[in-house]
Amino acid sequence: MAATLPISAAVDATAPRVTPATQPFGTTAPSSTLPLMFTVTGLLALFLSASWIVAQPEILAMYHYSPGAIALTHLFVLGWLCSIVMGAMYQLVPVALETKLFSERLAQIQFAFHITGCVGMVWAFQVWNLKFVAQFGAVLAVGVALFIYNLARTLLRVPKWNVVATSVASAIGWVLLAVAAGLVIAIAKSSSESLPKLAGFVFRFDPIGAMHAHAHLGAIGFFLVLIVGVSYKLIPMFTLSELQNHRRAAWSVILLNAGLAGSFVTILLRSPWKLAFALVVISALALYTLELRAILWARKRASLDWGVRYFLTAVGFMFPLSIIAAVLSWPGLRVNAYTMQFENVYGFLGLVGVVSFAIMGMLYKIIPFLVWFGTYSRHIGRAQVPVLAEMYSARLQVIGYWIFLAGLLTTLVAMEFSNPVAVRWGGGLLVASLAVFGFNVAKMLRHFVRPQLKPLAKISVIRTAL
Amino acid sequence: MTDTEQNEKIIFEALRQVIDPEIGCNILDLGLVYGVAFAAGKVRVTMTLTTPGCPMHESITAGVKNMLLNIEGISNVEVDVVWDPPWHPSMMTEVGRAMTGVRNF
Repeated sequence: MAATLPISAAVDATAPRVTPATQPFGTTAPSSTLPLMFTVTGLLALFLSASWIVAQPEILAMYHYSPGAIALTHLFVLGWLCSIVMGAMYQLVPVALETKLFSERLAQIQFAFHITGCVGMVWAFQVWNLKFVAQFGAVLAVGVALFIYNLARTLLRVPKWNVVATSVASAIGWVLLAVAAGLVIAIAKSSSESLPKLAGFVFRFDPIGAMHAHAHLGAIGFFLVLIVGVSYKLIPMFTLSELQNHRRAAWSVILLNAGLAGSFVTILLRSPWKLAFALVVISALALYTLELRAILWARKRASLDWGVRYFLTAVGFMFPLSIIAAVLSWPGLRVNAYTMQFENVYGFLGLVGVVSFAIMGMLYKIIPFLVWFGTYSRHIGRAQVPVLAEMYSARLQVIGYWIFLAGLLTTLVAMEFSNPVAVRWGGGLLVASLAVFGFNVAKMLRHFVRPQLKPLAKISVIRTAL
Repeated sequence: MTDTEQNEKIIFEALRQVIDPEIGCNILDLGLVYGVAFAAGKVRVTMTLTTPGCPMHESITAGVKNMLLNIEGISNVEVDVVWDPPWHPSMMTEVGRAMTGVRNF
């Protein structure tokens, strides 16, 4: 007996018109442990950063060129953002680009360099010992070099180059420059006697301008470029939609890169032309939001889950961030207490409101997947396994969303008016929101320890030999 | 009901227990299964996934194999993943759309 069962109206199993799939994911992605190591480290650094704000709110209530603010920023950027983004890239780049990670072992070695460099740099900034900053910065840079090498070799395996691959390639280029710029500044400042030529070159630039230029390389070049590029793959995947206009998407990445290159130079030189390049970056973000809107309009899934809503709220914050960027880039802007604090607001909104909130939204997708993959993948078809949305509390997710927004807005207003008491309140709300987030992450991780497997429904026996 | 119809029903029931964990719907009502052929204890499933590079690729295809091998009388299962034609939500059943909140077409 032989038979064919037409199930959906699409194609017959025996039809010849088939395109074989590329390599299956399970054999191409790294194990769940690797990205989870980075993720847990990142969450710990995030919690420490928010707690630091509560403990020392004056750090944000005054201008950011201080050891405390710089140490806190590096804990936040290297400990939280970089850890999460690097771990996620090891996981997502093979998925998004349908390829295989070059070396998982190299990524594990990078993790050790990353942790050592990050902890050492934060401590060295806090005690303002620039020699140690340079030394631990070099340790971190070795890790970043391994990361870049691993990702670059992975990109070489990409079967089909697209806008996502371009943004990933750009981002790893920018992070290289960001780390190199930071390292050069630290070495020049700590070794002016032994390296007079390097120090002479660096000291030609205004130190605050150099710091801001370095920060923009990392924040826009690494984080924003990745958020824009990777979301062109992930948002259609999560909402059942498609990229609507490939040319528009490509231009958004091109303009973002071009605008950042110009912004870096003009910020470094404190040139009045920085407004022009800020506008190039803003136009890139405008194109990005237009494309994102088109993707969402074309989506087939009517309701948006809260992970996606977190992400879209973060994208919404790009609008006020762009306005602030334009104001701060305005030629001849008067420098006073309010405009100086406006720089704090700009940095905080960018790093916390846009980058962190977008990442938290994506983590509500990534962490359940990693845990599910590590725990349930081998049981599918053998037992009933939970779906991703059942691995955390959606109610807590909503509560965390609103507390985070309240904390963010309170902190932003408090910073602008240099009010440390209100900064502490804002920081407290952010800690509360993170505690809710942490609780939900713990719920997800619990599946590693206590898997929730149920027996399959009874399957009948085939009546005759097949 | 003939033996063939009964067997079809059993195989469909089994495939309905394989869930896409991201979307929260079984692969049959999602419209991922394009065809099933069986003969002499062997089953060949031709199916797709919601997107190329789907992170659940191997889990779902392994799930299909495991599930069908649970059925007494089936000794060999082949799963062919194809991208042509690409999956589209219009391939979902009414039940699948109701489960996932996907819009009608």
